[in-house]
Amino acid sequence: MFDDPDARVGADAAHLDSCLECKARFEVIARDARSIATLLAVPEISVDVRSAFAKVSEAPRFQPGLVRLPVFRSSVRPMRLALVAAAMVALLAVVAFAAEGLFYKPSTVTPVPVTVADMQALSQLADYGTVAWTQQPQLQVATSASDAAAIAGITPPTAGSVPATISKTITYGAMTKAIATFTFNASKAQATAAAKGKTLPAMPAGLDGATLTVTVGPAVGEIYGDLKQPQGSSANEVNLPQLVIAKSTAPTVTSTQVSAATLENYVLSLPGISPELRNAVRAVKDPTTTLLIPVPVQYATATQVTINGANGVALGDNTGLGGGVVWVGKDGYVYLVAGSIKKDDAVNIAKTL
Amino acid sequence: MNLEARRMSLGRSEDQAFEALFTSEYARVVGIATRVLADPHEAEDVAQEVFVDFHRLHSAAAQYAPAWLHRAAAHTSLNRLRGSRRRLKREVAQALEEGDRTVDPQKQLEVDEDRRLVRAALGRLAPKPAAALAMRASGLSYAEVAQALGVGIGQVGTLLRRAETALRKEVIRGTSN
Repeated sequence: MFDDPDARVGADAAHLDSCLECKARFEVIARDARSIATLLAVPEISVDVRSAFAKVSEAPRFQPGLVRLPVFRSSVRPMRLALVAAAMVALLAVVAFAAEGLFYKPSTVTPVPVTVADMQALSQLADYGTVAWTQQPQLQVATSASDAAAIAGITPPTAGSVPATISKTITYGAMTKAIATFTFNASKAQATAAAKGKTLPAMPAGLDGATLTVTVGPAVGEIYGDLKQPQGSSANEVNLPQLVIAKSTAPTVTSTQVSAATLENYVLSLPGISPELRNAVRAVKDPTTTLLIPVPVQYATATQVTINGANGVALGDNTGLGGGVVWVGKDGYVYLVAGSIKKDDAVNIAKTL
Repeated sequence: MNLEARRMSLGRSEDQAFEALFTSEYARVVGIATRVLADPHEAEDVAQEVFVDFHRLHSAAAQYAPAWLHRAAAHTSLNRLRGSRRRLKREVAQALEEGDRTVDPQKQLEVDEDRRLVRAALGRLAPKPAAALAMRASGLSYAEVAQALGVGIGQVGTLLRRAETALRKEVIRGTSN
C-alpha cells in the first residue's frame, strides 16, 4: 500500500530515486503491500445511498441528543466516583428539600461531605419509586457560541482570561430543559430492600404515591481542549476536557402530598447515610434556597469562596490534577468552572466571567 | 429572529449538514466495513449504525466528522468480526455446501476459504493495525488514515508496514492450523 503520494515525501523521496539499494527495498515493501491489498480485496459493491439514508432517518435511535454518560478511563475513576457522588447528592438535595406546594430554587451553595456508603445508600433511592420523563434532555455539541445559545436558549458564559496552558480549542455544549417526575412507591421500595436483605424505615404517611417534579436546565458550556480526535470509536466515549465553563438555569422542584421536613427526615434515616452527611444537611439554614455541593471525603476538599459577591464552593487542590468552583450568580444562574487545573486558577477564571 | 425560530432553523441546517455528510461518506464507510467483514449486507448494517451513533451526539458540521466515522466503521466492524467467528464458520460451511452454481465450484470454494482465513487473521490483530489496514485497503489516503487513527501522517507508512507483516504471519498461522 505504498502508492500514496505521502508514502514518499521530501528528502526520502529524493533519496529513493537515487539509492538503488533503498529503491529495491522499497519495491519489495510495495509488492508486499499489494499482495496484502489483494488478500483484503472484495468484489465491487454498489450502495443505494438514498434508500440507506431513508432507513437511517427512520431508525428509532436517530433523534440526536439523548444524554449519555461518558465512559471514563480507569485512570480517572476517582473523578468518576466524585461525579457519581455529585449526582447522588444533587438527588438528595432535591428529595430532601422539595416542599409541598413550594418551590425549591437555590440562590446559594454549601458543601456537604459524602462517603462511598452515602453514595450507595442514595443510589438506592431510585429504586423506591418510578421515574418518568416529561421532557427528555437533549444534549448537543455545537460549533459556535451562538449555535449553543440557540439550542439552549441561554448565552454561554465567556471567560475574560484563561491560563496560557489551556488549549485554545473550544467546543460548545448545550442541553435543553429537562423535566422528570419521581413517584414514591412503598411496596416497590420494600420489595427492593427485601431483595437486598435490608429493612427500610417505615415510609411516613403520605409519602407513598407522592410525586416530585424536577426541572433541570437548560444549560450551556464551553469545553476547552482537543475533542476533535475522540480516542474511542463509540459515541459514549469522550476525552476529559482541560477546562469546562458551564452555566445552567437553577434546578427547581415541586412536590405533592409531603412536606420538606418529612422528606428530609426520611431520606436521612435511610441505612448507610453517614452521621457527617446527616449533620451537614441538618445544619443548612434555608434548605429551599441552598444547592448542596457534594465533597467526596476521600478525593476532594472544599473551601468557601466569594465570586463577584456571591458565595461559592471551590473544590480540589492546587496540584493541577483537578479543581473547580460552583456558585449561584447574582443573575440566578448556577455556574461551574472545573477541569484539570489548579483550584486557584478555577477561582480566578470564575471571577472574570 | 426569536430563539424558537433560530432553534428550528438550526435544526434544519443540522439535518441538511447530516444528509450532506451521509451522502459524501456513506459509500466510504461501507467500504471500510466491507474490507473487514467481506459481507456487503452486514457492512451496510454497520455503516448505518455508525451514522446513527454519530448523529446522536455530534454535529455533522464538526471538522472531525469523517475521521470519526472512518474510525468507528473500522472498530465496529472489527468488533463484529471478533464476535461472529463462530457464525462466520457456520456460514462458510453452508456456502460450501450450497456452492455457487454460476462459477466453478472448486474456484469459489478456494475464494471463500481464502476470504475466511484473511478475515479471521484480521480479527486477531491489535485494533489499530487492523483498522489501518481496513481503511487503507478501502481507499483512504495516508492523511485520512492518520486523521482517523489520531497519529501523525509520517507514522502511517510504518504502521501499515507492521500491520501487513502481522497479518501475513496470522494468515500463515491460520493456514497451518
